[in-house]
Amino acid sequence: MHNSKSILIRWLLISGVFAVAWLGLVVQNWGIVAIAAGGLVYVMARSKCTRAAAGVENKPPIPSETRPPAREKEPTSNDPGDLVRQMMRQGRYPLLLRKQIAANLEAHQVAQATDALEEDMALTPAGEVLLRPPHSGPEVGDSAENPTGRLVRVELVYLDRYPVTNREFYEFVAAGGYGEMALWEQEILPGLLDFVDRSGLPGPRFWRDGTYPEGQDDRPVVGINWYEASAYARWIGKRLPTDPEWVKAACWPVTVPGALPLQRKYPWGDSMDRSLANIWGSGPGQIVPVTQFTGGMSVGGVYGLIGNVWEWTATPFGTWHESQARFETAVPMRSIRGGAFDTYFDNQATCQFQSGESPVGRKHNIGFRCAVGACDLTPRQAASTSTQPEEAVAELAMASGQGSQRL
Amino acid sequence: MSNEKCVLPMESYRLAQYSVQVPCYVCEGPNTFDAELCRHCQAPMALAHQANTQKVRPKMIAVVGSAGSGKTVYLGMLTDMLSRQEDGLQLLARGAFSITLQQNTVSALAHCRFPDKTPAEPDCWHWVHCQVRMPGRRQPVELIVPDMAGESVHAEIEHPHTYPVIRSFAEKCCGVIVLIDAARINDGDQDQDFFAMKLLSYLSELYGDNKKGREKRPLALMFTKADRCEECFDDPAGFAEKKAPGMWQHCRERFPNHRFFAAGVAGACATVAAFGEGDIVVPLRIEPRGIVEPFQWLLEQLKW
Repeated sequence: MHNSKSILIRWLLISGVFAVAWLGLVVQNWGIVAIAAGGLVYVMARSKCTRAAAGVENKPPIPSETRPPAREKEPTSNDPGDLVRQMMRQGRYPLLLRKQIAANLEAHQVAQATDALEEDMALTPAGEVLLRPPHSGPEVGDSAENPTGRLVRVELVYLDRYPVTNREFYEFVAAGGYGEMALWEQEILPGLLDFVDRSGLPGPRFWRDGTYPEGQDDRPVVGINWYEASAYARWIGKRLPTDPEWVKAACWPVTVPGALPLQRKYPWGDSMDRSLANIWGSGPGQIVPVTQFTGGMSVGGVYGLIGNVWEWTATPFGTWHESQARFETAVPMRSIRGGAFDTYFDNQATCQFQSGESPVGRKHNIGFRCAVGACDLTPRQAASTSTQPEEAVAELAMASGQGSQRL
Repeated sequence: MSNEKCVLPMESYRLAQYSVQVPCYVCEGPNTFDAELCRHCQAPMALAHQANTQKVRPKMIAVVGSAGSGKTVYLGMLTDMLSRQEDGLQLLARGAFSITLQQNTVSALAHCRFPDKTPAEPDCWHWVHCQVRMPGRRQPVELIVPDMAGESVHAEIEHPHTYPVIRSFAEKCCGVIVLIDAARINDGDQDQDFFAMKLLSYLSELYGDNKKGREKRPLALMFTKADRCEECFDDPAGFAEKKAPGMWQHCRERFPNHRFFAAGVAGACATVAAFGEGDIVVPLRIEPRGIVEPFQWLLEQLKW
């Protein structure tokens, strides 16, 4: 209606100007013609400006790549079955396997959650792992009595097989995770409003309009800081792995009596094979889906530990450094592990190498994966996974097949 | 006492060689054929000898910036990255001396240390003479790029003719990469802005001859250490306009062919107390960003 009215007015104006111009020709007065032409130009310019101001013209259509995916409406039912299904869909099955909750669930629901756990997460057996300072390898005189580094005991733990993807993190954002104060560390609550995407909505730094760019579902989420990673882990019922847990899953130590554990430099062995990890010069120079470079899988069946994205861990940076070589940073850093797609040197993308980043840093190449201790899950689950490392390894090897051969 | 005479060969060919002066490739000052460094400007004479053996005379690119802005790391990383690439821009060093800078930089960074500071004396500088193969171009191009000390550049700007090698090189170079410490600018340190303004004034005075069109030579302004202020990566020109308005204005007025870039080599840095060295800044990991782009842009701007 508004459009047709404005078109009518414009036509009337143009007709009027033409009439004046015709009159100018009739009386052969070129001054009037010039005025008429000027008027016509003015009307057209005015019309264009009005349309531009209204956003009708010159506004590029929103490309399909940046359109957010349709968000599903969450069920509002109070039926516990619906709630369980919703939590399963969101990947929050570890919460269902908590001792307090699992006791109130039906057997098939617990079984379903257990299946999901075993599919998504890999078991790392309990045992000792040697954490060395950066740039120190086995040295002369390095022995079980006097090792370079520190021997740390790790309990039975599940570690995500893949880093957390954009699609998985979207569930957290869509469920209002950024608004749930209970998920966040107390000290970061004042800074929570800064954790926004490019459009100012809560979410990872490189997202827009509360969602990730099209086609990046399976890529690790990046642009999130340590607090965001921790909050997500808490929401999903897991936690960030500690440094020893991460290193143990990656380098898969084999304990030999009277000697230091035999540990791999890389998940696949002791030498760099650039075809197995996305680091500088070996990949496309950007983050790839988590399902690529599967050849770099660890013995326990954990993928993408080396390369693609650095991974936040729960441990403060510098924990394993010698006391005389303490790093000082503006803010206490958190440990990151594994290297990224742009890590330049092979020796900085090893199982042992530790780097650090400010806990509020939202970098383009830092993601994370989650862990959950077997002791935190229902006893049935914990019992089924066995508390004996040897049994756990044997079970795992049977399940994965390939891993057992490498042992 | 013996009357035996000692017969010494005259080696007249040596005298002949000494009579022919070899001009320095940078300052064109005469030198003897066996001089290692130019006695006028201290540039290595190997550049002149190598240039004489080739049909094409190498072009020169200046990489300048204040002390600590990251020139050595930039040049070392650039040469290493381009020499490892299988496609795109490729670099091949000419002469062993051209690899030393790359070697020193890479071995230091691989152990999470920054390379040693470049001495102010020109005879201690590392020079890179290399062959660069560009995509879509059949013939490789010959380039000479020195790693000049920031203190020397500063001294030459403040007191022209202090370092003849800098002046001669700046006059002859076909493109300039200016390095600016983005972290210091972001922290509100105006010295970087002032240094860049002085440098641009110095260069524009050198290139002031409009008839030769020298003012059109490309100028790449690169914010280094941009990993410490991520906004710089998003919009380097906007960062310059906001944080270094003097330099930004100078570029607009005096160097029509310029572009801003952002680069970073270390993902994060920390300070560590080293025995006998005091507190030193060390990189916590190496992940180069934006290193090749300014160099590539500069090469694309040049007429070959």
